[in-house]
Amino acid sequence: MTPSAIRLSCDDPAVATTVRRWLDALALQPPAPVTIDIAVGAPAEDPPDPPTFAQPHLSLWTDARGARLSWDGAPAQALLPGVDPVARVTLSPGAVDRLDDCCRIFLLGVVILLVRRVGWHHVHAATAVDPKGRGWLFAGNALAGKSTTAAWCATRGWAVGTDDTAFLTSEGGGVHVVAARGPLALRDGGNALLSRADGTPLPSRGKTGYRPEDLGGRWASRVRPEIIAFSSVGAGGAPTALGAVGARETLAALVRWSAWVLFEPALADEHLALLARLAAQARSLRLTLGPDLFAPGDRLMELVP
Amino acid sequence: MTTTYRRHPDLRLAALEGEGVVLHLGSRKYFTVSETGVTLLELLEQPRTLEALVSGLVERYEVDPARAERSVRDFLDRCRAAGLLQEAGS
Repeated sequence: MTPSAIRLSCDDPAVATTVRRWLDALALQPPAPVTIDIAVGAPAEDPPDPPTFAQPHLSLWTDARGARLSWDGAPAQALLPGVDPVARVTLSPGAVDRLDDCCRIFLLGVVILLVRRVGWHHVHAATAVDPKGRGWLFAGNALAGKSTTAAWCATRGWAVGTDDTAFLTSEGGGVHVVAARGPLALRDGGNALLSRADGTPLPSRGKTGYRPEDLGGRWASRVRPEIIAFSSVGAGGAPTALGAVGARETLAALVRWSAWVLFEPALADEHLALLARLAAQARSLRLTLGPDLFAPGDRLMELVP
Repeated sequence: MTTTYRRHPDLRLAALEGEGVVLHLGSRKYFTVSETGVTLLELLEQPRTLEALVSGLVERYEVDPARAERSVRDFLDRCRAAGLLQEAGS
């Protein structure tokens, strides 16, 4: 495992060891140093104003002075001054007691805020490379089948980067997507569709984790998307199908799945330009997943030869 | 009094194949826009009168002025409702 280039300082050796291990497992190598500075103590009270953005378990406040992220699992807060690539994190003892969840939920949010300060912009998507070497980006709702599709890709010998957390970056004249390494996390339904029961239990998430290698694939740290699939699960057993997506719908969908573009104006221009270049670079499809995907063969390669 | 229109400074526009998406970083909302809308938002980077916007559409698309004016008025109404415009009288 290559150590992450994300720098860490922490006044608690046990916390430092766990967070360091988690960071290294993500296998992220941002293009410039970023630093997480952790102290264990009592975080300040959240601002009285409504957050700029709230998602399950996380609240974000932003203004010209920078960004502030809070976790609702236990008191924990990160302050990022301006657009400096530094996060000053305060974890309460309660957050330390739940350090695995704190890393997976809260510190991942901190990493997302940090790396966008050095040119990596988060996109909520799965990534893969098909047997012809074409990069795919799968975006869609939480129950749109991204993880199951990513796992399915691995079972067909594709390279898979992530089922959830990726970062857009400009490299060599194109837009690439860097994967945060983590288990492909399947619910029971996904396990059943893939006829698998041999993954690693992820009890706090109610899921089962697989590495791409466990499923017959390999890991791809970077993907240059040629195909963007906005995926959803079909109804009534209809077969897997593709549809066209227009230019403006593609741009809007990318903004939706890369929503941090809306939150820190000083970073918005670069982020939006990446989304526009990605939309221009890749062919966009509406992918409706059906049960035939799980029959023998490679249905996606048949549909997109 | 002549009214001039300008797009809100918090707007960011991205275009692809003529169509686009516009972000309002103040309200944190985003909207899709047609090819005509992209053209008008590009013109609205500078303060423009209604007449100047109509002329811009006529020059670009070779449409008759009455139709262009209807399009511009409709677009300005929708932008106004979404908080995407700044207006000034002179």
